[in-house]
Amino acid sequence: MKPTDKHITTPKWPLKLLRLFIKRKYLEEIEGDMEERFQDNLKSYSIRKTRRLYAWDTLKLLRSELMKSIGGDKRLNHYGMLKNYLKTSIRNIKHHALFSGINIVGLAISMSIGIFMIVLLSELQSFDSFHDKKDRTYRVTTSRQGLFHGEEIYLATASHYIGDQIEHKIPEVEDVLVLRRNLSAELTIDEKSIPASGYYATASFFDVFSFKLLKGNPKTALKTPGAIILTESTAKRLFRDSDPIGKTVAVDGNRDFDTGIITGIVEDPPTNSHITFEMLVSMATMENSLVEHRRNIKGNPGHYADSYVYLVLQEDANTVKVESMIADMMADYNSKKAPMALALEPMGQFVIGGAGFPPGPTFSKRRIDMMMGLTIIVLLSACFNYTNLSLARALRRSKEISVRKVVGGTSLQIFSQFILEAVLLSSMAVILGLGLFFLIKPGFLNLPELSIDGTTIFTLNVTPVHLVYFLLLTLFVGTIAGFFPALTLSKLKATVLFKGASKMKLLSGVNTRQALITFQFALSIGLIVCAVMVHRQYQYALNYDLGYDTNNIVNIKIQGDYINLLENEYAKMSEVLGTSRSAVVLGTRNAELGEAFSEDKSDTVMFTTNYIGQNYLILHGFELIAGTGFQDHLKEGQEQNTLVVNKTFLKELNLGDPYEAIGKSIWYFGEQKMQIQGVVKDFISMSLDAEVPKAFAFVKMGVTNNGILGVKVASNDLWTTMAKLEKAYKELDPVHPFQATFYDDEIARTYAASKTTYSVISFLAFLAISISTLGLLGMTVYTTEGRMKEISIRKVLGAGINNLVLLLSRNFLIMIVVAAVMAIPGSLYILDNMILSKFLYRAEMGLIETLSGFIIILLIGVLTVGWQVRTAAAQNPADILRRE
Amino acid sequence: MKKSRLGEFQELILMTVIVLQEEAYGMEIQRDLEVRLNERLSVGAIQTALKRMEEKGFLTSEWGEATQKRGGKRKRIYQATPYAQRVLREMKDIRAQLWNAMPELGMSKT
Repeated sequence: MKPTDKHITTPKWPLKLLRLFIKRKYLEEIEGDMEERFQDNLKSYSIRKTRRLYAWDTLKLLRSELMKSIGGDKRLNHYGMLKNYLKTSIRNIKHHALFSGINIVGLAISMSIGIFMIVLLSELQSFDSFHDKKDRTYRVTTSRQGLFHGEEIYLATASHYIGDQIEHKIPEVEDVLVLRRNLSAELTIDEKSIPASGYYATASFFDVFSFKLLKGNPKTALKTPGAIILTESTAKRLFRDSDPIGKTVAVDGNRDFDTGIITGIVEDPPTNSHITFEMLVSMATMENSLVEHRRNIKGNPGHYADSYVYLVLQEDANTVKVESMIADMMADYNSKKAPMALALEPMGQFVIGGAGFPPGPTFSKRRIDMMMGLTIIVLLSACFNYTNLSLARALRRSKEISVRKVVGGTSLQIFSQFILEAVLLSSMAVILGLGLFFLIKPGFLNLPELSIDGTTIFTLNVTPVHLVYFLLLTLFVGTIAGFFPALTLSKLKATVLFKGASKMKLLSGVNTRQALITFQFALSIGLIVCAVMVHRQYQYALNYDLGYDTNNIVNIKIQGDYINLLENEYAKMSEVLGTSRSAVVLGTRNAELGEAFSEDKSDTVMFTTNYIGQNYLILHGFELIAGTGFQDHLKEGQEQNTLVVNKTFLKELNLGDPYEAIGKSIWYFGEQKMQIQGVVKDFISMSLDAEVPKAFAFVKMGVTNNGILGVKVASNDLWTTMAKLEKAYKELDPVHPFQATFYDDEIARTYAASKTTYSVISFLAFLAISISTLGLLGMTVYTTEGRMKEISIRKVLGAGINNLVLLLSRNFLIMIVVAAVMAIPGSLYILDNMILSKFLYRAEMGLIETLSGFIIILLIGVLTVGWQVRTAAAQNPADILRRE
Repeated sequence: MKKSRLGEFQELILMTVIVLQEEAYGMEIQRDLEVRLNERLSVGAIQTALKRMEEKGFLTSEWGEATQKRGGKRKRIYQATPYAQRVLREMKDIRAQLWNAMPELGMSKT
């Protein structure tokens, strides 16, 4: 403590608070008391504590007996004032239909988007919230750097191996759940068959997740080999109303098991679950089969692409510590070239985290950010309309304000009056906006590819909780919109106001208004440019030369053991030019991921792969550089030992030029030795926007129970041909529906996400344009109104209408040009780095695309301004001048 | 009596004002009461009670001297009105009567 207490002063802000709020007649006494108390306390406490006590005492002084009343020391009837404000506001809204109309419509449009975002975000927030241990549940993710293009791949999957290791070696982990993906099978009982898909799961499934098991024992239902849990709706489809528990079903189309026993019925995963499935099968089933097939999946951390590892940590566990322990476990395995980095992803991030190979719906964070940004921008744009028009109208309200000031209204009162008016308008807008929201909702829900895997992700239901947020939105929008006009108007001096209109021009914030309108123009131009470019990229992707021919090829899904028969059947048809089988359809984000090593294991390559039959390369027109394609199908019991790869594959493994490479061996998945039989040119294996390796390897395929049969058909009369194909199929497979799509349509579906982005952006662009056009219209009306006398005099002196239009629209033209100069580079940057950055192959931007926004806005601007000015200029000048 | 009811805390303050006589200003009252009650009070509590009692006519007040310690601010010296003294006495009597009327058993328990 300092020697003299005199220099230690009381903290500043509590004193200010005191002076602001305590009644003036009490202030001296109380301030003195507080000071004395402060000095007393200094003797017994530290300076800091004393100050804290002072602040605390100050807060306790804020009682109604001691505080000023809101209307100052005089007692005012607040209710009366409020009523008066309300009445004035309502009259104003009523009497100025143009002003209120433009603002309410503009605000309503933008608020419908605000409402939409509120509902959307709260729905995303609610994902997985039904799991009891949500805050402690994590998923092990795998990322690998530098395998191709030096980019990172980030996957939601992790190896079964690491799951086992974690369970045994990390005490902080309460439960470990391993799921294996790609489970699909056909279940048959009493002559009735249904296809079902889902996951192999370890027995801890119900310890980690809180899905309700309606029938069966959660502890044992997934223990024994062959145990199957069905979802409620799947069970209904197969069993109708009979009790399925304990029933044995025949399993087809799956190499891991032939029969299974239903051990449980689980509720259908709700829409807000990050994982979707129709059935769960015990992991033990899978393990038995692995032993049979002598495949070592559990012991190898390299098999990370097919399983998910979920952890429940103990209450006080430290995630960083657990992560570093996992990293230690991987230290032995990790190669230096492309180390595997495992991390823990909390459950709240599952849907928005952006990890690849997700087990259910996802919604990328980038999309959320983009939509949030656009929503805020559109909201601001509508607020600016209000601000602009209010300022332009300030002239008319000046008499009212000056009278209020003269009879004793304070700035604060006038400020709150205008804020109240804005809030009133925004509450009318929010009601209209809610109606608009229900109009756009079905449109949004029907957009293709909302979630990345195409499953339902949103319901967009409005609950009572949302109403609170809507109210906050209303207050927020009202305050933002009304803030600037309220501030400007409340600051005006009564004497200046009475002097008349001539000085008002200086006060009405011309610069601010111009800046705001320019901002709106820039926004509209930018959005148009983005929409045009995304659309162009979509078209570009559809027409891109993938490196193989997709024309007139029908892809038919095979779900049974009849592929040879079907192929023979089709070969007999005259409309069929050829058939070929494959595991997946290339170019539609479906290829599998694999990893291979050079013969001495010094180089490694990540690649995508497809299993194909004998005619595949020819039918699809792949260009073979060296070697040969597959001459036959894989025979029963024959080992796969040859590959057809692309050029990048050779380059990454340093296998020399295509001719040298023929006959060289590599380690396929690090376990199996394979020889290179042929080399094809590079092509697009997944899609233009997928971050996948460019390297590719074809593997020979034998008889398959689930694959794709590609049928090249003659192009005349496709519908009859399709009907014929279906008829032949139905004879061989009466159970499954005929699932056939044209290759080109399937490719189009792959880029549906781009189409969604395009739809969303163009819709928002449309809204932004509507709002700014409304604003522009309002501004023109007020400006021309203010210049009526000038226009009339000019006309009398001989100016033509075109002259006048030019005179009055010059300002707007300048603003549009400035806006374009700001917006075009900005939007090109955003397109490059955010919206289209995923596309490795980009459409070029032409001059027309770049200038599209500018031209459209210019056109709309000229039309709006021209129309208004023409009407004004067409009036008889005598009528206007006579009024003086 | 009904109209002029005193709260317990107000009564304590009122009596302190009488005890302190010339020295009865906000901070002094608070210091005195804090010692007697052996607990910390807030300035707000004391001030509110004083203002209320002044409004009800139990207290009158006038400006006193200003001191260095108060940052040059004047004290406000409070004085109980005769009416307040009468009310206090009445309350004491009522209490005394009640005490006398209480049965022995009830007392020994507390």
